[in-house]
Amino acid sequence: MIVASDLGKLYGSIEAVKGISFNIEKGEIVGLLGPNGAGKTTIMKILTCYMFPSYGDASVNDYNIFTDPLKVKQSIGYLPENAPLYPDLNVIEYLEFMADARGLTGASRKERLEYVLDACSIEDVAYRGIGKLSKGYRQRTGLAQAIIHDPEILILDEPTTGLDPNQIIEIRELIKKLGKEKTVILSTHILQEVEATCGRVLILNEGKIIARGTTEDIGREMKGEVLLDLTLKGTNLENADKSLVSLSGVKKILNSKKVEDTKRNFHLSLTPQANAEEEIFDWAVSNGYKITAMIPEKFSLEDIFIKLTHEGGENAN
Amino acid sequence: MPTNVSSIVKKELKSYFNSPIAYVVVSAFLLFTSIWLFYLQSFFANNTASLRIYFAVIPTVFIILLPALTMRSWAEEKKLGTIELLMTLPYREEQLVIGKFLSTFVLLLIMIILTLPIPIMLSALGNFDWGQIAGEYLGVLLIGAAGIAIGLFVSSIATNQISAFVVTLLILLLLTLINAVNSIASIPLWMTSVFNYLSLGYHFESFRKGLIDTRDLIYYVLITGLFLYINVKVLIFRKWM
Repeated sequence: MIVASDLGKLYGSIEAVKGISFNIEKGEIVGLLGPNGAGKTTIMKILTCYMFPSYGDASVNDYNIFTDPLKVKQSIGYLPENAPLYPDLNVIEYLEFMADARGLTGASRKERLEYVLDACSIEDVAYRGIGKLSKGYRQRTGLAQAIIHDPEILILDEPTTGLDPNQIIEIRELIKKLGKEKTVILSTHILQEVEATCGRVLILNEGKIIARGTTEDIGREMKGEVLLDLTLKGTNLENADKSLVSLSGVKKILNSKKVEDTKRNFHLSLTPQANAEEEIFDWAVSNGYKITAMIPEKFSLEDIFIKLTHEGGENAN
Repeated sequence: MPTNVSSIVKKELKSYFNSPIAYVVVSAFLLFTSIWLFYLQSFFANNTASLRIYFAVIPTVFIILLPALTMRSWAEEKKLGTIELLMTLPYREEQLVIGKFLSTFVLLLIMIILTLPIPIMLSALGNFDWGQIAGEYLGVLLIGAAGIAIGLFVSSIATNQISAFVVTLLILLLLTLINAVNSIASIPLWMTSVFNYLSLGYHFESFRKGLIDTRDLIYYVLITGLFLYINVKVLIFRKWM
């Protein structure tokens, strides 16, 4: 559906995107995640034919961005960063313009206008001047124009910035709903956003992809660390550390502290290939300890992100 | 399938009339040209059934007025970021430029039509040469079209509307009055004709007399076409920046 090969962009002498390649299948919701200045917006500007790459090539919906830009633009609904709108128009005038620009006419034009007003919950402000809209309404109006022509591909640059928590949930639900039929690329620097909406993620830093895959994939490839939060009940727990670390499945005790007189909490790093949890269970039973809590901890994207951006390099490729 | 120029024209005109700019410019134009004709040039005291003095001032008024109409076109889109929307809609660059041009030209047309009551009201007073007035109107539209094309081009390379206004004003000032150099300084004859040829004002002379000279017509069409063409190139060049 969307193919980018060795895409690069120079702004003067600054290389904002450094030879990025990726492939997005039909129906995927893919998140571009990275700090500000990582190149997310530039990639989107290239895919939407707003600008040409300095090198490399890309195609969207099987149309090449150099040779078939009009077809590319027709396939895409685009919400640029900060949802730029015309302050001199009111919401409905603006959406009518976008509908006309997309070639909608007659009944389907009317139907789509009604649909987007409803889907983005902006009926209340339909006749209000865009210059007087709050940030949340502006963002939703921007999203409304992006979906007005029912495009196959949605490209959304930071779609939830400036929204309050309820609106964020609404918009995420809408994106997920749209993502059932459409291919969606959204960029964000908010990790929860990707976890909440995206099936797959490309993590960008300084113009390069430093990791890609599903959230779980990336976690697994993080040098194979699995964390376990373990609480035991029993006597002589002070001596448990030594025998615990001798288990083959336990790589390291990160933290060990007494919770109550008869309880102790351990924070363990496990070697993922071994059946560490079972081993720990058997060990606890044979030593007469009772397990009161055993909670596997997934790496959050936050951990991954901090780790990757500090280490650099393309870990997950 | 989609996207014709009319959708852009429609949107641009809505923007013009939803903001004060169109009303301010149009009323300023009508007010000033009327004051010029009836008060400063004492039309009635002249006692001639001709509007030559009326049309004579229009190119000069355009020097200030056209930049005010065109300054926002691209500069404002760039400032608001809406250019990103516009350029990612399925339009060709040519369609965008023509759409912007036509919308401003329609505004000019409305403004010019609003001056029609002047010759119509005065027609009762004397025997006007309607052929001449038609020629004068054509000249006004042509010089207006050329000025709009120049203004749009400047707006496309300007970073904000104020600089677009000032630069367009300077270019129009230079182009309109360059032939005046001929009468105030002694310069070689070939230079005189170069200045004359370049001058937006000089080519207006024949229209003002009610003559339609093909060379003047071609001049205005060429200037308009040239600047619209460079405007398209500017938009395409931006994509490589």
